[in-house]
Amino acid sequence: MAVRNLGRNRIRTALAALGVLIGVFAIASLGIFGNVLALSADAELGGIGDQVIVTPNEDTGTNSLTVRDVDAIARATGGDGSAVALRTDNALISASGGQTLGQVYGTDTPGILFTAAAGTIPDRHRQGAIVGAAVADELNLDVGSAIEVAGARYRVIAILESEEQISPVSPNNAVVLPESAIGGRTYDQVVVQADSGAAATAIADRIRTQLNAREERVSVFELSSLLATIDEFFSLLNRFLLGIAGISLVVAGVSIFNVMLMSTNERKQEIGVLRAVGVHKADVLRVLLAEAALLGVVGGFFGAVLAGLAAIGLVFISPIGFDVVFVASNGLYLLGAFAFGVLICLISGAYPAYKAATLRPVEALRG
Amino acid sequence: MNQTSPLGSPSPAPELRRQAIALESVVKRYETGGETVEALSGVDLTVQTGEFVSIVGPSGSGKSTMLNLLGLLDTPTRGTVRLRGRDVTELSDRERTRARKASIGFVFQDFHLLETLTAMENVTMPTMFDRDRDATDRAIELLSRVGLADRTDHTPNELSGGQKQRVAIARSLINEPEIVLADEPTGNLDRDTGATILEEFRHICDGGVSVIAVTHDELVSEYADRTIELIDGVISRDK
Repeated sequence: MAVRNLGRNRIRTALAALGVLIGVFAIASLGIFGNVLALSADAELGGIGDQVIVTPNEDTGTNSLTVRDVDAIARATGGDGSAVALRTDNALISASGGQTLGQVYGTDTPGILFTAAAGTIPDRHRQGAIVGAAVADELNLDVGSAIEVAGARYRVIAILESEEQISPVSPNNAVVLPESAIGGRTYDQVVVQADSGAAATAIADRIRTQLNAREERVSVFELSSLLATIDEFFSLLNRFLLGIAGISLVVAGVSIFNVMLMSTNERKQEIGVLRAVGVHKADVLRVLLAEAALLGVVGGFFGAVLAGLAAIGLVFISPIGFDVVFVASNGLYLLGAFAFGVLICLISGAYPAYKAATLRPVEALRG
Repeated sequence: MNQTSPLGSPSPAPELRRQAIALESVVKRYETGGETVEALSGVDLTVQTGEFVSIVGPSGSGKSTMLNLLGLLDTPTRGTVRLRGRDVTELSDRERTRARKASIGFVFQDFHLLETLTAMENVTMPTMFDRDRDATDRAIELLSRVGLADRTDHTPNELSGGQKQRVAIARSLINEPEIVLADEPTGNLDRDTGATILEEFRHICDGGVSVIAVTHDELVSEYADRTIELIDGVISRDK
């Protein structure tokens, strides 16, 4: 009966359903987009969240980190992670396939920071070169190839995985050599690989208090607290987007209110007849609410479907992967937007329905 | 029609046994714009089972008010309404709706059929919200009784005025009421069609159902057992 009543004024019904559709679509798609944005940012930035970079503070005249500094950092790190001291340099890297300018890292324990795609990274790095993905690609290197770095010859013992994440120590354009390959007794930076973001924050605090007690000897750079701020920003952004979408659904609710009010007004006499022939108030109310709910269900369903399609479409037009689109929290947005759409319809249908159902039959019949 | 009351009230006294509906010293006042209008000023009326009563009178004489009171659509300011001897004046809205459904059928001047429903669905409409009840068989019987057996699947806009009114009559009878109330039943019909509708009412009365028609149409009185004339809220003639 509700279906047929809605069928009576098709254009008006369609427009009302369209209003709900747009509202639900807006909520679901903006919610999902915001969520996807936050998730992919998390995935991109995840790697820097658990690293602490310690560099000498040149403002106070410190140009390098001594062995004592490195030991102090290692003590401050404790069991929460591992500290890797690095010497860095820029050098011309050449092989039979050509030559390129790249970063050179000198460390004895590269296994803590880097992962090999081919070959193996030894526990103690004594000889040979570990080559970043971009360098290997450019110079056509394989495990076993010979390269020349700043005039010295090395054999390639491993090639690193291409690193997609933003990271303070990017290995893609680098060659990792044993510590002794780069001259000097001091280090240019210490990278602490912490077990978690929270551990990184704690380690950074300890390093600051222990090494910078008298003067600011070192700069401590850690992104875990920054990451928390970024997360906060994204959740704020998401709420903001949802707020905008919510407004559009409220507008849709008002249009449904109007549709229901008009259609019950038009049907006053008809409702009077229903009441006269012995249909109870509750039944009249139920039919009218069913109409409102139907608008909400149909509009909400198509709105949610469209939002789902839009989210899938996002994968094709942007560098976002399926892994951040097909997550439970996005499904929750779809479901939530749909439920909210139906709820708005019921709320805005309730008053006109109640008003029509409780009209005295005599007045309703008079029209 | 002489079974015990379906409303579960005590058996009516013998002299009331044939009484379908009655108004006793009924007064109805309306407040309109701060002014009190007395639509009915002390009306007594008893309609017997199977009686065809027509109510006539000039506009504003209180005819419609009287019909609304008889149809339990409205309550009197003073006085008593009795349905088969039972005082129904003070019933709650819910009880009144139930009593209306059980005992009273309505026929309107504008037919008031639901445009979206077929003739058949319009006839069964009063039973639409009853669970476990299929009134289809009775609807078919009623529609063939009013000569519309071949029109069951037509919607109101595919029917003529006379046919619509006959669908409305079938609808008014679906719940086997004791009383059918008609508000200008021939008002929108030509004379010949009106006559067939009135004949239909006669058949209904022969089946033991009372028909009360409010009308301007003198033709109705020719078919009625009794004609009551209302003027200024009082019965001025009853014959």
